[in-house]
Amino acid sequence: MTNSKNTILSLRNVKKHFPIKEGVFQNVVGQVHAVDGVSFDIGAGETVGLVGESGCGKTTIGRCVSGLEPLTDGDIFFDLTPEKLVALEDFEKHQSEIKNKHLIDEIQSTSNISKIEGDDFYNYRRNCQMVFQDSFSSLSPRQLVSDIVSRPLKIHKVCADNELIPRTIELLEQVGLGKQHLYRFPHQFSGGQRQRISIARALALDPKLIVLDEPTSALDVSVQAQILNLLHDLQKQRGLSYLFITHNLSVIRHMADKIVVMYLGKVVEAGNTEDIFSNPQHPYTKALLAASPDLSEDVVSDMAALDGPIPDPARPPQGCSFRTRCPVSRTECGWEVDDIIRRLEHHETLIDSIKSVEQPDAFNAKFTFETSLSATELKDAIGTNDIPKQMRKAIKKIEVDGNDVNISFEPVQTVPLVQTDNGSLSRCVLVNK
Amino acid sequence: MVKNTQNLEIDEVGFNDSAFKVRLKRNLEILSNVLANPTTVLGLIIVILMLAMAIFAPIITEPNTPDPYQMPRDWKAARSAPLTPGHILGTTNRGGDVFYGVVWGARTSLKLSILVVTLTVVLGVIIGSVAGIVGGKVDEILMRIVDVFLSIPELIFALAIAAILGPSFTNIILALVVVFWVKYARIMRAQVIRIKQREYVDAAKIMGASKLQIYLKDILPNSFSPVMVQATLDMGNIVLVGATLSFIGLSEAGIAEWGVLVSEGQAGISAGRWWASTFPGLMVFLWALAFNLVGDGLRDVLDPRTETKR
Amino acid sequence: MSPDNLDIQNSLDKDLIASVTDLKVYFESKQGMVHSVDGVSFDIVDGEMMGLVGETGCGKSVTARTFMQLVQSPPGVLAGGNIKFRSKNSKSGSQVIDLLDLSENQIRELRGERIAMIFQDPGKALNPGLTIRTQIAEVFQEHRENDVLEKAGLKNKLTGVTEYFVKKYIKQEAGFLVTTLLKIPPLSTYKKKIDNGINRLVAEALEETQIPNPTKVMERFPHELSGGMKQRVMIAQAIACNPDLLIADEPTTALDVTVQARVLDLIKELQKRHKTSVLYISHDLSLVRRICDRIAVMYAGQIVETGDAETIFNQPKHPYTQGLINALPSMSHERGKLEAIEGIVPELIEPEPGCRFVSRCKRRKANCKKIDPKLQPISEVDKSHKVACLLYES
Repeated sequence: MTNSKNTILSLRNVKKHFPIKEGVFQNVVGQVHAVDGVSFDIGAGETVGLVGESGCGKTTIGRCVSGLEPLTDGDIFFDLTPEKLVALEDFEKHQSEIKNKHLIDEIQSTSNISKIEGDDFYNYRRNCQMVFQDSFSSLSPRQLVSDIVSRPLKIHKVCADNELIPRTIELLEQVGLGKQHLYRFPHQFSGGQRQRISIARALALDPKLIVLDEPTSALDVSVQAQILNLLHDLQKQRGLSYLFITHNLSVIRHMADKIVVMYLGKVVEAGNTEDIFSNPQHPYTKALLAASPDLSEDVVSDMAALDGPIPDPARPPQGCSFRTRCPVSRTECGWEVDDIIRRLEHHETLIDSIKSVEQPDAFNAKFTFETSLSATELKDAIGTNDIPKQMRKAIKKIEVDGNDVNISFEPVQTVPLVQTDNGSLSRCVLVNK
Repeated sequence: MVKNTQNLEIDEVGFNDSAFKVRLKRNLEILSNVLANPTTVLGLIIVILMLAMAIFAPIITEPNTPDPYQMPRDWKAARSAPLTPGHILGTTNRGGDVFYGVVWGARTSLKLSILVVTLTVVLGVIIGSVAGIVGGKVDEILMRIVDVFLSIPELIFALAIAAILGPSFTNIILALVVVFWVKYARIMRAQVIRIKQREYVDAAKIMGASKLQIYLKDILPNSFSPVMVQATLDMGNIVLVGATLSFIGLSEAGIAEWGVLVSEGQAGISAGRWWASTFPGLMVFLWALAFNLVGDGLRDVLDPRTETKR
Repeated sequence: MSPDNLDIQNSLDKDLIASVTDLKVYFESKQGMVHSVDGVSFDIVDGEMMGLVGETGCGKSVTARTFMQLVQSPPGVLAGGNIKFRSKNSKSGSQVIDLLDLSENQIRELRGERIAMIFQDPGKALNPGLTIRTQIAEVFQEHRENDVLEKAGLKNKLTGVTEYFVKKYIKQEAGFLVTTLLKIPPLSTYKKKIDNGINRLVAEALEETQIPNPTKVMERFPHELSGGMKQRVMIAQAIACNPDLLIADEPTTALDVTVQARVLDLIKELQKRHKTSVLYISHDLSLVRRICDRIAVMYAGQIVETGDAETIFNQPKHPYTQGLINALPSMSHERGKLEAIEGIVPELIEPEPGCRFVSRCKRRKANCKKIDPKLQPISEVDKSHKVACLLYES
């Protein structure tokens, strides 16, 4: 960790939940835990890669960071000096000590993006920009390139009116376009050129951080190479930080200094790029690497293809969310009653004969069946191979009582992010075993 | 718009477009696409002729005094057949010149359609935008109101309102506005909801644009095509419905309005005096047809599918 | 179709299932004829997985659709060439036909039975208003009535009018009269058996693609399934009839990486088990390398290189192929130094003679602008590796 540079972005236990509405009156019946406690930092001039598949929450984090979505919980701090960062970390560890109250208050009012106002807010707005995946829908079809790229300059009154066009031309040239592209509509350009226009727009206010949300995923490989080279050059010239969000591991390996791997709203592994690629710790990371066509050659991984259902993002489990698909799951991963039902879904008559369920928490439940025969059937079904061995071992108690079946699982704590031997962080019970 | 003071550089590199020229070129391109369709061109020609007739009415025929919108009455020439000198299309049963009625009727129709379309578009766009942007309960309430309006057939609704308000030309305008604004509210709301999810709106937020700015610069311009198409179609249909209401008698008697003329000439048809109803009726038909053709042509070109050109 | 024509029967090598020769497909546009596919030739070996790789606009999708005459005409125009196909299990035994020569009815018989296709977006290829069962059953009912009869336990047990009615029902050609009659016993028992037979066949097809709970999934509608599941359903539908050739047009592009890996494994497994030949279309060179036996690289409507997958990857000869491989992020660990191919793909409207890659090629020579390069083997020794480049022409 370079201690002399500022930390441009610091996410601390960020949570973003979306309400699930049902019915005529749009009653809120639950919350989708899109982001469920994510923390990481981005230093000045650094590229942090945010990796995961669809539904993992990485796009949501991008939107939270750029201020498009308010946070449900947690904080995002912008542009902290090293002293401020240390003070913040101290404060979090020893909450009772109000040593640096002045400093903490100052940090909250000037750097916490949920709390800043006025000039501080404008400062953050200028310094945090975003480039989107779809190059077509990220540019207004009725505006000329000159309008699009000069608009941030106009809004923030960065320069005089007669300087707008020269400044815009400068920006276009920095991304590999030119004067001749000023007065054209977006639909007249190719995908790669449109991304360049998006990048030029993002650079207009000379930001410190750019959030790149799958910037090259829709582009051909040869065009992608051009854009990645451009992004790198711009970073070197301007000392930019990037939050690079993508599902493409080979791109991230090429571009990122550090990587954060996400699964269902949580960070499952984080660390330096090379450490993660040469020595992945989390089973999900290993599976991702094994599944990437252009990496599997030179990356050490022996993961079988993933199998199994994905848990409901509205009800994230206490234990590890990955256990339902993990090829190396263990007894202590946090098995719950819901897992039994999911595994036994194909026993249709059995499931249909459940009259009622009492479920005080995720680990305990009482099933009431129509007949005591069905109740015994459930107990037998649990004994078969439909339920993996490690899940069965986690069942503390299973009792048949007439038409009822009482099931109790061994409850577990949430699986924390733990530092591994090679310096990364990993959220897995297998770490350091 | 930024004044282009950099002409030197422009010519230097052989780059001689300007923002204005490029926008103009684009609009001309769209126009030429529209005109590529022969039926649209036909419609447009008829529309232009009708508009010319409406605008130049005082020149084409001597305006009646004191109120040019009242049909002239010349009892001596009453009921004469078409193609008599001074009365090309014949006269009505009160001696009004049918040709005068046709020409000034166009003016009336133009007045009617422009007023109604303008008011309905403004009202509908505002309400639709509010519903789309604010969302939530406000959206629900507004849309339920719109649904109620839409569940009543246009003609009957307009009829009812005009009947309640009393027969007059102004009341017909009012009735039509009340009935027709909901279409625009629905269209605008759907567009706003679609557009506000677009990434360029997000980009505008991120660069610090104010909500009003985003609405005016990003959402509104990109939402307008369907509104424009509907407005064009309605220019035709409003006159049709308006004429129907006049025909039934909800307008003022004796004015130079096609529906009224058709109604007044009706009695004479069985007696063989076909001209007093037929020519104004034909005009209603042509007006509605023409605007519908142009509207359809516009829709073909401006349909969202065409907008996603690559 | 002329099965007596010995010329065409012998024109396809014994070990090939299909051969495209000088295929030209153009599109009419306001600015002129777009030469989307301009003289494409390649072979598909029986039982292999052949990859057709290229970037956006190179014409690979159009080529694939031409196999089944799925290109809309107008504006598409077949401007030349032929696609020879060996239909192995058709009713009259094995025969070679020119796919472009067939009538609408003839190609419809082939589609879904001898040649099947899966697409990029399963959501669009599946009918949202029909259950999964209905959609897969359709394949069996159209093309596999004997299998349906067998599964229903009625093979060779029906005669005369009964047989006629039942067969009409299977083929979904039963009119009002037949349908009513089938509601009356004993015909109704036959109908029930047929229905069960069809259900069993559908369930088996779904099982083969490793869809869990096939009987439950059968009753669902496409929108109730995840992307990976929908893709499996599409694959199940495609292989239901054990086609000779499966054409896959970027089937995994819209899927997550881990789901993609499973679907690819599935395709590979099915291919091996049924000995189906596969034409796999993709823009992802590394993916194609992993699963395909041979690769053809396409650029601007033409094939620029063909050969074994490993050979193409490790010893690419055409400058475009080389550029494509060097542009992969995994090929260079130094940032900012990815080899980007400068320039953009040329417009294919009435293209000029000469190599189409010339404006972007770092190794161009004087002749490259004037002479059309021909797809030829690199050497006498290695006839399977072909390149279309003047650098290699003797």
